[in-house]
Amino acid sequence: MPSVSHHSAPLRPKALAIAAALFSCALLSGAAQAASMKDGAKAYKPFIAENIGKAVAGAKEMQTAVKAGDLKAAQAAWIKSRKGWEVMEPVTGTYFGEFDKTIDPWPNAKTGYHAIEAVLFSANKTEGLDAPIAELLANMDKFEKKLNDKKFAFAPQKLLEGTANLAYEVGEEKSGGGESPYAATSIIDMQENVEGIEVAWKLVFADTLKKKDPKLADLIHERISNLEKLVGVADIKSMDAKKVHVGGEELAALMLQAAPKLGLKPFKVGDEDEGGADKPK
Amino acid sequence: MRSGLSQAIAGGFVALAMASVPVQATPVISRDATLPIGSELNEELLNQPTELFAAEQAGGKRSYLFNLGDMLFSSASIFGGKARDAGMSCNSCHQQGASNPKLFVPGLSKKPGTFDTSGALFNAKADNGVFDPVTVPSLRGSKFLAPYGHDGRIASLREFIRNVVVNEFAGAEPSGQVLDALVTYVNEISFLPNEKMTPDGHLTAKASDAARRGEALFNKPFRNNASLSCATCHQADAAFIDRKVHDIGTGGYFKTKTLINAKFNAPYFHDGRYDTFGEVVGYFDKHYDLGLTAAEQSDLIAYLDAVGDADTPFTPNTVQAEVDELTQFASVLEVAIPARDKEVIRLAVDSVGAEWREVGENFPDRRDTSVEGGVAERMKARAGVRDLVLSLRQVAMAAEAGDFAEAARVYVQYQQTVATVTPYLKTAEQWSLYNPQVHDKHFTALRQLAELAK
Repeated sequence: MPSVSHHSAPLRPKALAIAAALFSCALLSGAAQAASMKDGAKAYKPFIAENIGKAVAGAKEMQTAVKAGDLKAAQAAWIKSRKGWEVMEPVTGTYFGEFDKTIDPWPNAKTGYHAIEAVLFSANKTEGLDAPIAELLANMDKFEKKLNDKKFAFAPQKLLEGTANLAYEVGEEKSGGGESPYAATSIIDMQENVEGIEVAWKLVFADTLKKKDPKLADLIHERISNLEKLVGVADIKSMDAKKVHVGGEELAALMLQAAPKLGLKPFKVGDEDEGGADKPK
Repeated sequence: MRSGLSQAIAGGFVALAMASVPVQATPVISRDATLPIGSELNEELLNQPTELFAAEQAGGKRSYLFNLGDMLFSSASIFGGKARDAGMSCNSCHQQGASNPKLFVPGLSKKPGTFDTSGALFNAKADNGVFDPVTVPSLRGSKFLAPYGHDGRIASLREFIRNVVVNEFAGAEPSGQVLDALVTYVNEISFLPNEKMTPDGHLTAKASDAARRGEALFNKPFRNNASLSCATCHQADAAFIDRKVHDIGTGGYFKTKTLINAKFNAPYFHDGRYDTFGEVVGYFDKHYDLGLTAAEQSDLIAYLDAVGDADTPFTPNTVQAEVDELTQFASVLEVAIPARDKEVIRLAVDSVGAEWREVGENFPDRRDTSVEGGVAERMKARAGVRDLVLSLRQVAMAAEAGDFAEAARVYVQYQQTVATVTPYLKTAEQWSLYNPQVHDKHFTALRQLAELAK
């Protein structure tokens, strides 16, 4: 089993998730190969399965609470569902774009997380949400079906781009209230995003890079920890936006630098036109 | 984003459709936002106030100091506290060097276009405990309009700018070159040409008969005080000012405002109490007992409208305008990297990177269901912007590490990336917020969501 030696702190739930995923990977393919990016990408699939499961479970709780007219329970369930969704962001856009736009559209007053958010958290109502929640669940079901298809597999190249892209997005302007402005829970979105980055990185790339360029591997680890600290605050307003902005960009830039050392392409716009961007080297 | 007069001749659909789409407010909606709910920075402009610069008018070029000042004018990094966190810059209030008639911050604004520069929100140290918002002035022709501040309290533009940065918006003490650059830039912002007026402030044949009658009234002595006329303070051959403060019954001494391009500077008076020239003329008629007839008032309004006009007051924003402007901004790196000037490198990377991100946001991603078509093109445009931002960030990282050779190498790579990415941006432009129809659909969807939230 590969080490998760970057974790000097006691294992937190996400570290346990990484360890569990790596363990299942080791059982499948042998400890000696578990550290390869290919095996890491395989181990990443159960992580996504677990979290779309959390998103679904939260949405179902929300459905029940809405039917009962329990606003507080519905709000709590929305946040719970959203956490599952946000931690998957390294892949929601790159692998599940068709569901990203039906589950998490913005701006959209009819369907998806934010239409529900506006009603639950700003209008403070539970009325009129049966249809959008049912639609949300139906789209999540389609997401799960795609993921569970035996032919479906994550590839390191695309995972790297999705992970670096998310680091770049974490550094986006959040002064308007961020991704969940009505619920005012954007800091939770960001915390889950950073966790999603950390899991994807450590599961798929960290060990390989450590062998190729330990200095860069340490630098990336340090930048992830730094981002984690910066978003570990109560709300967006308490966050040092400038540091998060720079930190997100630096992390994404370092991942870009790591690409050739991992035998991957330093992705750039137009790669997809060349037809080779998704193929691991 | 900001664009110059040289970019006023924009192509195709943008120019055709720009007049048909009303600009609507999109105020802050989240209690999690840096600024209070209801704040409006009026940033989503399709038509931007036109910029014109003196050196270019004279056939010259943009100097390093000018480009640095231009870039800093759009940079949140020179401010501190909430202004910096909110991504505000000089340009937030003085859009393209003009004013911002829709700017509104609850608690600091009495009405759109006004702002209390001594409130607690942006710098508790400057809070004077008085709710005294003033209008956000246009900076056009600033070099002719000293002293500065509505009450003319500061003689030097340099001192005024420093006060804005440090005291109004809690920024760190700016370096000498930062102040010099901002002063250079502001001094370059010219009045816009107006074919209805000669350089010495007289009407031309292009002005209407009503305006001409108004001009005569403007110069006519007041009936109760023959030593005074409108032109006594608003001297036509001196940019319509007298560089003095006067008490005209509005609560103290305030300096004479220029009338050049003033049609675009509403609301009027130091506190923005009037929205139209009609209200302004009505006030003077009453205050000085001028005894103007309705027809005379109408003629004076026509005169103010004529001298306050501009040939090209607004310029449509386009991808090319953005690329040109950001190329000029980033050009300061060509001097700053060899000079090992970490301050300017850091400011340029932060500022230009933030501006690129704003450009990227104008290409709605696939999650924006209000926009139809061009998903692949829009995603490529966004990816291209990401490449540019990350490339710039690598310049800053190299410079911070003291590796200026690497910074120079990455900057060249950045320039190449601009060339590579620009065609992607242009291809996607028709599905972007630079297209008024797309812009309208996107903001309609935002407003629908805001309605749902009520």
